[in-house]
Amino acid sequence: MGKTMIMKIMERAAHKEVHTGERVWCDIDWSTARDFGGANCTLQFDEITENKGKVWNPERIAFTFDLQAPSHSEKVSNNQKIIREFARRQGIKHVFDINRGIGQHVLLEHGHVLPGDVILGTDSHMNLLGAVGAFATGVGNTDIAASWLNGTNWFRVPDTMKIEVTGEFPCGVSMRDFLTLLVGDLGAGGLDFLAVEFTGDAIDRATLAERITLCSMVTEMSGKIGLILPSGAVLDWLAERAGPEARVRAGAIKPDPDAVYIETRKYDVSRLEPMASCPDAPDNVKPVREIAGTRVDQVHIGSCTNGRFEDIAAAYEVLERGGFKVSPDVRTIITPATTEVMKKCAERGMIEKFLDAGIVFTNPTCSLCTAEHYGALPSGDVGCSTTNRNFIGKVGKGSHTYLLSPMTAMATAVRGVITDPRDIVC
Amino acid sequence: MSDVLKGRAWVFSDDVDTDLIYHNKYLAETDPKKMPQYSFEYYPGKENFAREVKPGDFIVAGKNFGCGSSREHAVYCLKEAGVPAILAETCSRIYYRNAINNGYPVLFVKGLSEAIKAGKIGDGDDLEVDISTGSIKDATNGATFHGDAVSDLERDIMSAGGLIPYLKSRKKDVR
Repeated sequence: MGKTMIMKIMERAAHKEVHTGERVWCDIDWSTARDFGGANCTLQFDEITENKGKVWNPERIAFTFDLQAPSHSEKVSNNQKIIREFARRQGIKHVFDINRGIGQHVLLEHGHVLPGDVILGTDSHMNLLGAVGAFATGVGNTDIAASWLNGTNWFRVPDTMKIEVTGEFPCGVSMRDFLTLLVGDLGAGGLDFLAVEFTGDAIDRATLAERITLCSMVTEMSGKIGLILPSGAVLDWLAERAGPEARVRAGAIKPDPDAVYIETRKYDVSRLEPMASCPDAPDNVKPVREIAGTRVDQVHIGSCTNGRFEDIAAAYEVLERGGFKVSPDVRTIITPATTEVMKKCAERGMIEKFLDAGIVFTNPTCSLCTAEHYGALPSGDVGCSTTNRNFIGKVGKGSHTYLLSPMTAMATAVRGVITDPRDIVC
Repeated sequence: MSDVLKGRAWVFSDDVDTDLIYHNKYLAETDPKKMPQYSFEYYPGKENFAREVKPGDFIVAGKNFGCGSSREHAVYCLKEAGVPAILAETCSRIYYRNAINNGYPVLFVKGLSEAIKAGKIGDGDDLEVDISTGSIKDATNGATFHGDAVSDLERDIMSAGGLIPYLKSRKKDVR
């Protein structure tokens, strides 16, 4: 019987043949933590080892500060300090402090992620690294602390759903819109315990940014991991960053032609239209034209799902076509995913145009995925965001959020009401 | 060994996300004992949970309980409040891991989502739950349910009291 990608990844990590449904112990390539949950991990590790423990491999542990970067509360500042001190004590060099950006993106840009890697992190969107064929998963502090003891952890070998995506996106429509459609189709629990392989010509053509968008939202269907076999320009980029081993490792996780899938779904995006997740759940999905005209108070473009350069560039194009001015009635905030993304925006002269248009352009951070960050919404406000969750009260009690693509978000910022971007750019 | 626990039901819908269980506002907390005070603060109609929950009360929920974030706070805040087990039709995978890793029982109860929607089990009902057999009785209205306890490796981790004690008992050889 042929093997799926996740089975090949787990076989390398478990050093044995694996079968779906089986529990296996996998070697961990990276065990990471953020300033969210990170101090919980280090305190727990110190407690269970009575302050005498050494981590299994300091070269394979990374800390990324992105929950609050820079921190604006004493509690988070203190947690960051606890992490820095633990890293120093344990000889952990990979500390990406408040000046770098969103953890997974930073690890990727620094060439730390290879196809087939098994990666843990205290971020439920770790699995966006499936965009380069890594099995990365969000876990709690116990999983992280346990993995630091001896570099392994337990997993159930999941079944895999195959999702084939074909066709070219029409004008004004992007990967985010396809993803929103998919979340609506499958629902919040639609992929519980499952892995996904994304294939098809639309995926083959997809940029790294688009692949990240797609894989990040597998979490919003409770999936374990969405995987894309690295190919073309994405594999070239990865090999440039992570070294030629990336090509070998990509070859090793190619699914067998006779791999068995629990289900195969097919989508053609060539007639897709802009989509929205309406309040208060990612799977409450409607076409943007059905909610067009809804008044909004704030628009936010960023996050691990849609904060890469291509996302910001797509929003920029809408702003340009809209006359380089956002509605004075809407607070518009753009947050790049990483410092590298921010620099690229600066080099292209985009930041100046954003600022002149009346937009707040911030440093890289996770920002508006929590109510404890700048831009939290007051009760009664309506937000639009390119983040991945619009749960009840997530960014402020009594507020409501629509999740949109970067193009739709910017079209909405320009007009001050929810706007189909095709009205501006097509 | 029969192991029947008695407690009241706190009933929740499908897809209860971790922000509803333990809101992101309180993520900086690192002491599990301080987490129960924030439980369900953002769940409409259950804002009173943290004040009124009694040790022994059960969480009763539909499908996909605990979807969303990986925060283990969402397990600690219930465990430390003395909730002996979560009874849910299904549980989101990250939440499931976090519960198992803490030796915290989750019973997967078929038909619970529909029963909640149909009002066959409600807030404040007196429940009798046998964790070892999975037998669940609503003593208030007579409805019965069956929950599957975890199996396989998860059962071993549970009986060790969680992942850390399990690993310590197995020393270095976990394969």
